[in-house]
Amino acid sequence: MGNFDLLNAKGVSRRDFMKLVGATIAAFGLPGLFAPQAANAVEQALNKPPVIWLEGMDCTGCTESTIASLNPSAAELILDMISLRYHETIMAGSGNKSEEAYQDALKDKFILVVEGSIPSKEDRYCMVGGKPFRLTLIEAAQKAQAIIAVGSCASEGAGIPGACDTGAVGVSEILKAEGISTPLINLPCCPVKPTTLIGTLIYYLTYQKVPPLDTQNRPLAYYGTLLHDNCPRRGHFENGEYLTDWNDPLQKEYCLILKGCKGPKTYTDCAQVWWNDNANFCINAGSPCSGCSEKDFYQGFSPLYSKQESFKLPGIGHVNADTVGKTIGGAAAVGVGVHLVATAASGRLKKEDHKEDM
Amino acid sequence: MAKIVVDPLTRIEGHLRIEVEVENGKVSDAHVIGTMYRGIEPMLRGRDPRDATYVTERVCGVCAGSHGWASSLALDQAFGAKVPSGGRLIRNLIIGAMWLHDHPLHFYHLSALDYIDIMAVAQYQGKDPGLLVVKDKIVKLVTAGDTAPLTPRYKPDEFSVNDPELVTMAVAHYIKALEMQAKAKKMSALFAGKQPHQSSIVVGGVTMLPTLETVERFRSMLLEQLEFVEKTYLPDVITFGTGPLLPLAQAGVGGGSLNYLSFGGFARDDEGKDLFLKAGIIMNGDLNNILPVDEAKIMEDVQYSWYKASANGKTPYLSETIPDLDKKDAYTFVKAPRYDGQPMEVGPLARMLVMKPKGLMDLITQYNIKPGAVARHAARAYETLLLAEEMLNWVDALEKEMGSNFRIHDTDHWEAPATGQGAGMTEAPRGSLGHFVKIGDHKIENYQMIVPTTWNFSPRDDKSVLGPLEQALIGVPVPDLDNPLNIVRVVRSYDPCLACAIHLINPVTNDIQKFQIGW
Repeated sequence: MGNFDLLNAKGVSRRDFMKLVGATIAAFGLPGLFAPQAANAVEQALNKPPVIWLEGMDCTGCTESTIASLNPSAAELILDMISLRYHETIMAGSGNKSEEAYQDALKDKFILVVEGSIPSKEDRYCMVGGKPFRLTLIEAAQKAQAIIAVGSCASEGAGIPGACDTGAVGVSEILKAEGISTPLINLPCCPVKPTTLIGTLIYYLTYQKVPPLDTQNRPLAYYGTLLHDNCPRRGHFENGEYLTDWNDPLQKEYCLILKGCKGPKTYTDCAQVWWNDNANFCINAGSPCSGCSEKDFYQGFSPLYSKQESFKLPGIGHVNADTVGKTIGGAAAVGVGVHLVATAASGRLKKEDHKEDM
Repeated sequence: MAKIVVDPLTRIEGHLRIEVEVENGKVSDAHVIGTMYRGIEPMLRGRDPRDATYVTERVCGVCAGSHGWASSLALDQAFGAKVPSGGRLIRNLIIGAMWLHDHPLHFYHLSALDYIDIMAVAQYQGKDPGLLVVKDKIVKLVTAGDTAPLTPRYKPDEFSVNDPELVTMAVAHYIKALEMQAKAKKMSALFAGKQPHQSSIVVGGVTMLPTLETVERFRSMLLEQLEFVEKTYLPDVITFGTGPLLPLAQAGVGGGSLNYLSFGGFARDDEGKDLFLKAGIIMNGDLNNILPVDEAKIMEDVQYSWYKASANGKTPYLSETIPDLDKKDAYTFVKAPRYDGQPMEVGPLARMLVMKPKGLMDLITQYNIKPGAVARHAARAYETLLLAEEMLNWVDALEKEMGSNFRIHDTDHWEAPATGQGAGMTEAPRGSLGHFVKIGDHKIENYQMIVPTTWNFSPRDDKSVLGPLEQALIGVPVPDLDNPLNIVRVVRSYDPCLACAIHLINPVTNDIQKFQIGW
């Protein structure tokens, strides 16, 4: 009790806070937690746990994303919910003062958050405080009660740095190499989605255990469903309506698969829980999903704006995406409407009408 | 003589180490050291050029949007794409909104703790209900013995503001600004998909075809931002800069080289001729002689960087970048770009001195403020106001575009050409940003970025001329070796972004240098 004074400053009562937590938990379908008991449990549990937040080879995008949260606000997060003992982008101290904060926090029962990847080829690619970041991570990982790897870089596969030649790896690879058994939760996405991080923290602090995870150590609550299955454009996919021209209002809501969308391969809740206080998400903005929540991102999903090498289209089984692309390209050249040809590609016309080999 | 090492230098983007020598209470020598490398550019080689907007966007999550934007400008040129007015305006608004997030965040959340004694809040005696909540909050943190992340910290010094009213107001605004930066990102996301790391800006334009309702939503959020900048951010900077920090401002602590560079940015026409932020060069502080930018005068030196000396020359397109982590005398991953052989400061102060807006120049004259740490904060705040006001014009222009033939993308130039090259030179919040791409066989043959913090935080060059920050640190007073507050004030006033600055080298190949001059 009493941690959430800033809510009062904004004119939000404790009851509103309880509603907020309850709604958050309910929205994410966290098993066994329902308002209002949930809110009480959460408030009891959130006794400002010490948090050490380390940054390796990162861009600070996950920090920026976390403080983009409006509900709860960034101030509530930083000053009320947790005791943020070490975070290079936010903390007051520098140099020896920050080292002092880090050493003090190591003595507590802290949660370790890691942002950014770790160079495995050469320690000197990431040095912090005159020390290889890899060694600092190992030290903190051994002592932490649990580790949350935020964003694609810190998660398995290491996202974009994982495609570079520094031998960048995520936290899970380091833990494996060092035989460290501290529980690890991966929260990939580029950057981490604040609702995912906050919900995971709430779950962990309430139950004192990691939530049910998938094989990539991602909480099933957030990474349990295929984006494609929840995509608001799924109906257009089924109808064979594919966006080819971003200017055309008629195509505005069409399926983005020909623009390279990785939705059929990507497990994320982006379609249900949008970004930036529910303002938008990539697909709603007409941008193909890049698959940033998967360990194959980025190396395995490049090129991002080309059709998938192979994906299932309704009614015609396994289709080579290039074939669909060529068909549509060719059709446009002879002035046939995109919709008609896409319909053909989807198999809703008779197969003999469609000359490409499926 | 004493040596001070600050590592990690926190409340910046990225990993930075500062080493200074202090003699008679003042800095006599300085080394600025970037300590992280990711290698993003070489990774782009051989890929679909369209990936570059998405990948380089992720160079930095603080100036989010900037790299994706610069990349799209380079690719537009290489693809021969003509971005329609709608696409140009939406890009401007996506990026502009992120600047509105970035500049106040730098002042309140990255810098302010260097200038206030936050514990003075406990002495607040006023009756403002909002400020009393802040006081209560801080007192409770202190009572609970848990004031992280506000402590530990350097001890407040003679310049630290300790007036309880002023400090309590500043802390209240720190909290308000946290909300405003989140709202600015939300506003950008309306067109961008999400922030940080938008997905909407692609070669040829943008992917988000907005409705009038979305544009109006954006406008109303913009008006809220404008009000915050007008009534809170800029007044706070002026109150501090012309009040308790005036001695720092007038002494020009952290002034540096007095050479300034701006590429200019935010096109107001489809040809990119009329730029909102102007391009220009200032040498030796001569504000009466703004020179045009000549790309051919940009050279990069690696004498003190962890690379082998170049055999091919020093233009960014030709110089070699073969790593040498054991190289004698080298001390940083940052290269040393020079313009006409001179180190150049980039960023808001450079841009505002090139543009000389009357309001800011009057303030500088009236209070006799010298270039330095405080002037940088003032320029940044003033620029934010100018930008927010200009963005309203872009919203109006966008709505005018939204008739029957509203276009946001050059669809005819979506596929990569067999060959091509392009330069995207613009401004990021932290200064001049350039992306350079060369395409061969429909793939990226070379990709190169020259980013703001590389200019500002460059090391010595082969003539042993110090980089801009290194120069700015010389002479900075350090009366207490254990609390080098003035050093971190000067460093942070540049709003450093090391993730941007030190991704440039290619440790395996030396192929970045194959560009030719003159394009």
